[in-house]
Amino acid sequence: MRYGMVIDLKKCIGCTGCALVCKTENATPPGILWLRVVKQESGKYPQVRRVSVPLQCMHCAEPPCLEVCPTGATFQHPNGIVDIDAEQCVGCRYCMMACPYDQRFFLSAERTYFPGHTTPFEQAGYQRHQAGVVSKCNFCTPRLNRGLEPACVANCMSRARTFGDLDEPNSEVSKLIRDRGGYQLYPELGTNPSIYYLPP
Amino acid sequence: MARTEPFQIRIADLRERYRPQREWAEGRGLLLILAHFLTGSGAGAWLFAVPLGSDPGLVIGFFLAALGAVGHLLFLGRPERFWRMATRMGSSWISRGLVGLSLFLVTAFIYLVLLFVAEHKTTLGAILLALSVLGALWTIIYKGFVWASSKGIPLWNTPLVPALYIAYALRGGAAVLILLAGLGTQLGAVEPLEPIKLWLAVSTAVLVLIYLEVMRGSGMTALRSVNLLLFGKVALPFYVGAVLFGLIVPIGIGSFAYFDHVPSGLLALVGLLSLLGDLSIIYCIARAGLYRPLPA
Ligand code: SF4
Ligand code: SF4
Repeated sequence: MRYGMVIDLKKCIGCTGCALVCKTENATPPGILWLRVVKQESGKYPQVRRVSVPLQCMHCAEPPCLEVCPTGATFQHPNGIVDIDAEQCVGCRYCMMACPYDQRFFLSAERTYFPGHTTPFEQAGYQRHQAGVVSKCNFCTPRLNRGLEPACVANCMSRARTFGDLDEPNSEVSKLIRDRGGYQLYPELGTNPSIYYLPP
Repeated sequence: MARTEPFQIRIADLRERYRPQREWAEGRGLLLILAHFLTGSGAGAWLFAVPLGSDPGLVIGFFLAALGAVGHLLFLGRPERFWRMATRMGSSWISRGLVGLSLFLVTAFIYLVLLFVAEHKTTLGAILLALSVLGALWTIIYKGFVWASSKGIPLWNTPLVPALYIAYALRGGAAVLILLAGLGTQLGAVEPLEPIKLWLAVSTAVLVLIYLEVMRGSGMTALRSVNLLLFGKVALPFYVGAVLFGLIVPIGIGSFAYFDHVPSGLLALVGLLSLLGDLSIIYCIARAGLYRPLPA
């Protein structure tokens, strides 16, 4: 079993709803963006194309972030998800230098959205985030444990995201990758990301 | 005008095609750069002080490395958990470095205690000295590998970086002893160092040139980083610190010393500028680090 995700760039309309729902689901503090949507332009006038590309931790099968972590705070679940145990993290940020996808965030100090004021949502949500450690997307592991899909998948209004088992040849994700030519970002680095993109 | 918060800068970076790494170069990241410089120069000074029999060199080498270790600790987001960093020797260069640096600091400290308050010419003293030299070598070697194993930053992700860091740590060690000599401490003891220092300065200059040339041809991100070093926001510390202070002055005065006597004041200046140059190159390479563009 290896969890993975397929993002269909033809269907993605760049609404950034996934980035917003990720923030809500995980109550990430200001400046911590486990998911972001990048707009990419290509071509020359009048043949110009604008594509929205959602980016998050790729849950690499060979994660360089895990290899360099000196404490074992970064670990891999048997289902392939790369996770961080905040209690073990020393905040050395070596993993941030090792991640070729720049998908790790360091929370240097506790921060709130409204200076000097913490909303009830923040009071509840920020208990999940420690200052002085690194964090990133965990494919919504708590939701998966409850039998739910990651929040970004469940809430994508254009159904651009598909989640499933990459090791299962007949899973929806495997079929999409096979049939539509799914590709990984920077495959030459040998990280073998678990997020595939379908061409726009 | 309101000061821009570091995290706002970081968010602005996300709009950049080539995002700069900031965690290891700005704010508390400067402590890490200082720590790498101090531990490298301290361990280097220890390595030269042992064969030269320079007791002040041993003391300063130890204190510089100890200060560097404090810098490493203060840089961490959770310093109270530092001991956890020794648990992944199998794959992490930071783990390996922590073990090497600890070996150096502990054995060097006990050796210095024996040297100054008890008898050091014993079997125990010899074992401690040998272990401290091993720890110092380990400390010098691991640093470059920490940077070189950072797959996210193409400018660092090359085997040339460890070679550069080893050369700079040795240079730094020699510079510490030359500075001490220039300040009037055991002037005669460091005479053999002068040709070594010149050789190190010349070979590092060649290594820097090779490094920049190789990185220019290692993809767009590395090329951008080199451009930042040579023509961008890192150019000033690079040319003034790393090139002028770190290479031109030591090579110029070192060559002059072959033909004529160099006054001690000038010797001290060479040592000091050389150290500033060493610090500058570590800073410049860290500051010029860029992530690959995303999406690819
Ligand atoms: S994308 Fe980065 S943080 Fe995520 S598993 Fe890969 S290397 Fe680690
Ligand atoms: S910051 Fe934390 S998770 Fe990252 S390498 Fe250091 S200890 Fe590991």
